[in-house]
Amino acid sequence: MTQLRPLWNVWKARWARLLIGLLLAELSVCSVFLLMGQTGSRLGLIAVGAAAAFGILRFAGAARIILRYLERLATHDATFRVLADIRLWFYRRLAHGAAAGLGFRRSGDLLSRLVLDVQSLDSLYLRILVPLATALLSLPIVILVCLKGSVLLAICVGVIFCLTAFVLPAFMAKLSYRWGPELQRTQAEMNNQALDLVGGMRELRIFGQEEAATKRFLDAESAFYTAQRQQGRAMAHIHALSLLLTRLGVICALGGCAGLFFPKEQAVVGITVLFVVMTALDNVVDLPRAGLLFGQVRHAAERVAEATVVPEGTPDEGTLPVPAGSEIEVRNVTFGWTAERTVLKNINFRLREGERAALIGPSGAGKSSLAALLLKVVSPQEGEIILGGEDIADISTEALRSRVAWLSQASHLFDDTIRSNLLLGREHLSDEAMWVALEQAQIADFVRSLPDGLDSWIGENGSHISGGQGRRIALARVLLSDAPVLILDEPGTGLDVETERAFLDTLNSLDRSRTILLITHRLTGVEQLDHLWMLQDGVLKSHAL
Amino acid sequence: MENFHSVCFSFSIFACICLRMKADKKMLKGWVRQQNRANRPATMILALIGMLNVLVGMILIWSLASILARLLTGGQGLDFRYLGLFILASVLRVLLGYAQELLAVASGEKARKRLRRELLDRFFAQGPSLLRHQHSAYLASMLTDRVEALEGYFSRWMPASALWVVAQWSVVLVVFWQNHRAGLILGGCCLFLPVFQAVFGIATAVASRRQILALNRLQVRFLDRIRGIATIVLSGNAEKDAQALGHAADELRQRTMKVLRVAFLTSASTDIAMIVALVWIVIDQRHGLLHVGSVPQTTAILFAVLMVPEAFAPFRALSAAYQDRAQITNSGEAIQKLPALPVSQGIKTATHQSVPQRSDRGIELNVRDISYRWVEDRPLALADVSFHLKAGDIALLTGLSGAGKSTLIEMLLGFIRPLQGEVLLGGADLQGLKPADVTRQISWIGQKPVIFAGTLRDNIMFAAPEASEAQLRAALEASSITDYLPLLPDGLDTQLGERGFGLSGGQAQRIAIARAFLKDAPLLIMDEPTAHLDPATEKDILVALRRLLDGRTALISTHSPQFHNIGETVRLVMEKGRITAQETLS
Repeated sequence: MTQLRPLWNVWKARWARLLIGLLLAELSVCSVFLLMGQTGSRLGLIAVGAAAAFGILRFAGAARIILRYLERLATHDATFRVLADIRLWFYRRLAHGAAAGLGFRRSGDLLSRLVLDVQSLDSLYLRILVPLATALLSLPIVILVCLKGSVLLAICVGVIFCLTAFVLPAFMAKLSYRWGPELQRTQAEMNNQALDLVGGMRELRIFGQEEAATKRFLDAESAFYTAQRQQGRAMAHIHALSLLLTRLGVICALGGCAGLFFPKEQAVVGITVLFVVMTALDNVVDLPRAGLLFGQVRHAAERVAEATVVPEGTPDEGTLPVPAGSEIEVRNVTFGWTAERTVLKNINFRLREGERAALIGPSGAGKSSLAALLLKVVSPQEGEIILGGEDIADISTEALRSRVAWLSQASHLFDDTIRSNLLLGREHLSDEAMWVALEQAQIADFVRSLPDGLDSWIGENGSHISGGQGRRIALARVLLSDAPVLILDEPGTGLDVETERAFLDTLNSLDRSRTILLITHRLTGVEQLDHLWMLQDGVLKSHAL
Repeated sequence: MENFHSVCFSFSIFACICLRMKADKKMLKGWVRQQNRANRPATMILALIGMLNVLVGMILIWSLASILARLLTGGQGLDFRYLGLFILASVLRVLLGYAQELLAVASGEKARKRLRRELLDRFFAQGPSLLRHQHSAYLASMLTDRVEALEGYFSRWMPASALWVVAQWSVVLVVFWQNHRAGLILGGCCLFLPVFQAVFGIATAVASRRQILALNRLQVRFLDRIRGIATIVLSGNAEKDAQALGHAADELRQRTMKVLRVAFLTSASTDIAMIVALVWIVIDQRHGLLHVGSVPQTTAILFAVLMVPEAFAPFRALSAAYQDRAQITNSGEAIQKLPALPVSQGIKTATHQSVPQRSDRGIELNVRDISYRWVEDRPLALADVSFHLKAGDIALLTGLSGAGKSTLIEMLLGFIRPLQGEVLLGGADLQGLKPADVTRQISWIGQKPVIFAGTLRDNIMFAAPEASEAQLRAALEASSITDYLPLLPDGLDTQLGERGFGLSGGQAQRIAIARAFLKDAPLLIMDEPTAHLDPATEKDILVALRRLLDGRTALISTHSPQFHNIGETVRLVMEKGRITAQETLS
């Protein structure tokens, strides 16, 4: 259960509301027992011709209706709060830990899975904890009521209740936890095959392999369904078993009424006990489903906990405020993502304020690693990086990133308006400033031509606009920041040659208050540079211009 | 969130009346109806078992009531016939429930499989040009997650919605038959259910729909933020954004709770109806019992009371499945949004008579006045494009992005059909050929080859599964894969793809070249084959490409100046869907 601990901590902040929800749920269950017990006893009294008062019955009915309403409100309100808390907690943990590194890895699919995992944590309170807690409270009530009949009956019903409410769900939780990885694996395989099938449609059509690929996908589907069916069947078995158990409980209570196997009770007591037992067992008959859910939630919690661990080698948050200057000096820096493979070997360079430099080299030469180092996503194994006279290891990370802006292929466009994509949470920027940035990125005319202008929606990862337009909006966003240092990592990807040239040309027109480091695998010829560095096999060489 | 959704369910009944349907809504409805029809047999069987379950439940409760009545009225002991009946009915009910659950699992699976095949057919019918409009990940998730989300719709919602009215009212009727007064009370309360929901439902229907939408939007926004979290973190705005996200969630919660306060009254109405029925029947029966100690009368009273929960159970099952219903609308909308390609005028049916003629030097390609547009009311993507390549010609195609180069290539590959004009390949009209006969003549190399999950060998051999080991070796040589083969951990058996060994752009492009060698088609079409490569790698690739061009007709779309000495014989320039310059070199 250690995986659930961080979640527990999120919950702790809301303990009062969660508790109120639980209490109301408990009270609501008590009112059901009262209602059904009264129904039984009143019916018994009517049948034997005794006088019966119906006050408590009416009260129990009204209480049940009101308590159930309040319970729903309280538990849902608590759930909504916790739901928001969990998301924010996850977001902040990710932001402080792994997130920065994700910019340098392709991880969209992984993150979508994680979001689904976070979502599945929502059910922990409403669908697992509340039903389980009410079952726990029901147990002593049922036993107390049964004791009015006989001790033997109380024991038998108690055992049956525990089996249905706790043992079977625990068993189901165990099963679903055990089968989780297999389900996950087969589903991932099916998803991969679907991606191959759809993404590779051109290749498959041209090489006449559509049928073979379809077959592979359908095979993966049937493997997934085999795993799913196994779980579905287990659920059906266990559900049938818990139904049988509850019937057995009712037969026990009936035996109490009739004096069969159990000591005979007074008729009215007998029927009251029977009604309460039936209600109690009916309430827990679906708990194995909560068990199934719990097994899945545990896996989700594990993955979420894993994702929020701060990866090793993440630089410490520094404390110094940013220095005034923005001269960058890289001194004897050696770095590798893993200990075995060094990507950068003893790199040295100096980039003065307002200078433009290009770093070129083949893919995989470590160009992006250098960007990661400058943004303090990772720290060098040896050497140091100085910004305006201070070692960046000592500068506060968030402050550093406000001085060094970064544009890469992985720069994300949010499913939002152009305005909020440009602002990214900054509130103090004027429309004019935005238009200036859009103008510089040479996309202002396009934005102006849209019916909603800055408030146009650009779709999921910019799907409503073209790739080139998206890159320009991402550039405008970077230009909009007042960061004196810009790192542009392969800004031309996805642009055709003319667009790329025009794009790079806009950089020349920027005023000289900004330092620009252009990382690319080739130059187009329009760049106006102060330095040209070649990175090959981890070694940086300066080239004449 | 089950409760929340079940609340929304009750609105939906009336929301349909209140909300005017738009045209696309109608299409969606048609699609949903079609899905329901396809699944009707399984639904009917499940509903039938559900109905049997209700009937057995009546026997069960009747035998229980009989036993209790005898015990209560004193004197008479336990009647073992009724106890036997009770046990039998109990076991039967468990078995029916068991069968129902297993069948639901099976029918949900069957329905998802059917829907998935339907989608696959649709994807293949549209062909690779689908990828122009939709991201492949989006399409793939439609095949997987969207279909999976429908499990509950087919296995739970459909049977429950087919069953509930019949089940509820048959319970009421049976109770009426046994005990008129109780039957009338129960029937009244059941009638009261929709009335109550109409009062609260209509008021909140529209608002609650908006809440669901807002909730979904928040969910989507969260996913989007998480996907782009690196961008936010690296811009130093993470904390501000987190606060904005928190505010949005809090605001949504407040608005949602406001709606839920009213909405839960609707779900409370089910509670009210049931509890009122129960309490009322109990209190009312005080007068109903004429002779204390009469077994049949006591049985009837007990039966009526015990049947009350049974009368409301089908409705509860239905509301519990409401969230499943919402899924079909989501998935249906996504499927409706798939673009439909324009139909070309005067499609010639495949005659299969003409056969493309190839020679040792390649194949002749004759493009005559073809036009095409992707979307009605938009300018033509191709306008009267004509050119002619002799066998062995190598054509370079240039032009700005958006000039129509990719559209032209997709047409030559047979992914789309011209609205006008014709394409003759080796003397045969492309439209008169089976798609397989067209692709047999063509090899294609794009910007980035798709590397499938599998070994390097699989990834090359799939171009020609029947090729011999010697042919494979030759292709490896010709494409210079042999240069990097020793660097791979398992040589030809190295696992590639999403979770396999990561190849560089140049290494991947060599796989595409090896595929083309192995396929040995006379026409070679290339779409910016070196766009993502650095100049040094591009140079290496060109060496292999030159080998590939030998003895083939080729059309190469490119921006790279390095291609300008590859041995081209024709130069084509496109602008706004037209060929604006055409030059034949000697």
